[in-house]
Amino acid sequence: MRAVSQVVASLSRVPGVVAAMVVGASDGLIIEASQIVGYAPGATDTRRPTAALAAYLYSKVNRASDAARLGTPAFMRLEAEKGHICVVGASDVVLVTIVAPDANLGRVRLDMMNAAKDNR
Amino acid sequence: MTNPTVAEAWVAAPLKRLMEDARLISGVLLYPSGRAVGQFGFSNAADVMSICALTSAINASARELGRQLDGKPFYEMHHAGAERQVFMARAAAGAQEFLFVGVFDRESSLGVVEIYFSEFQKALEKLLPENQAVQVRPSGDFEGELNRSLDALFGPIGKK
Repeated sequence: MRAVSQVVASLSRVPGVVAAMVVGASDGLIIEASQIVGYAPGATDTRRPTAALAAYLYSKVNRASDAARLGTPAFMRLEAEKGHICVVGASDVVLVTIVAPDANLGRVRLDMMNAAKDNR
Repeated sequence: MTNPTVAEAWVAAPLKRLMEDARLISGVLLYPSGRAVGQFGFSNAADVMSICALTSAINASARELGRQLDGKPFYEMHHAGAERQVFMARAAAGAQEFLFVGVFDRESSLGVVEIYFSEFQKALEKLLPENQAVQVRPSGDFEGELNRSLDALFGPIGKK
């Protein structure tokens, strides 16, 4: 199993990833997080609320997927006005990335899925 | 979900928002002295009375424990049970300190409760009436204070 710090470091190097986090799936608390790309000192740190709410949302998506008899969700992407939030489940943790709107989402998805596979 | 009942009207809106956003099953806002300010999820004054007394005692113990172990009082506590979890934290508004204790289950998470609790704190800070900017100190009459606050929440016992 790769160390969580390695997972975060490799995901944060993917072009377009603004922040990468490993988050507790049940409690939504950050286990490891990268710095926010372009973070201005004094600006609001969005990682904690994003981590908590993304993990919460993923748990609901999990239930929806289960209710539809689709099995475990492989990848979740929330597209917003100014970017994306991507989430992948990996056992007791979820990998969460905040991604710029112009990022190569295919690459982000592939790297997140691979990281999750390594951690299962 | 029922609306919170409050002894001080200004806490009703932030307490309702916290309850809804964090998907809490029940919760009590109180002064560190044990006097209840608002509650939701309880229909029995005796339950709230027990929770206020216990929370007040736990806060006093944890505060001292934090001082001894970490040099400063613990800010919040969390207990994860098999089905339900308890979140307990201090909230400051001006010079006034409050305690909050909330119960949640798998419909929520500690991270989510923490996020909305910090918003709740900001709301308390913003809405605190000017005449309460000075800290409410315990009068020394713990039981009397507790009973008066419970009367405000549930109505006088035996007069319903």
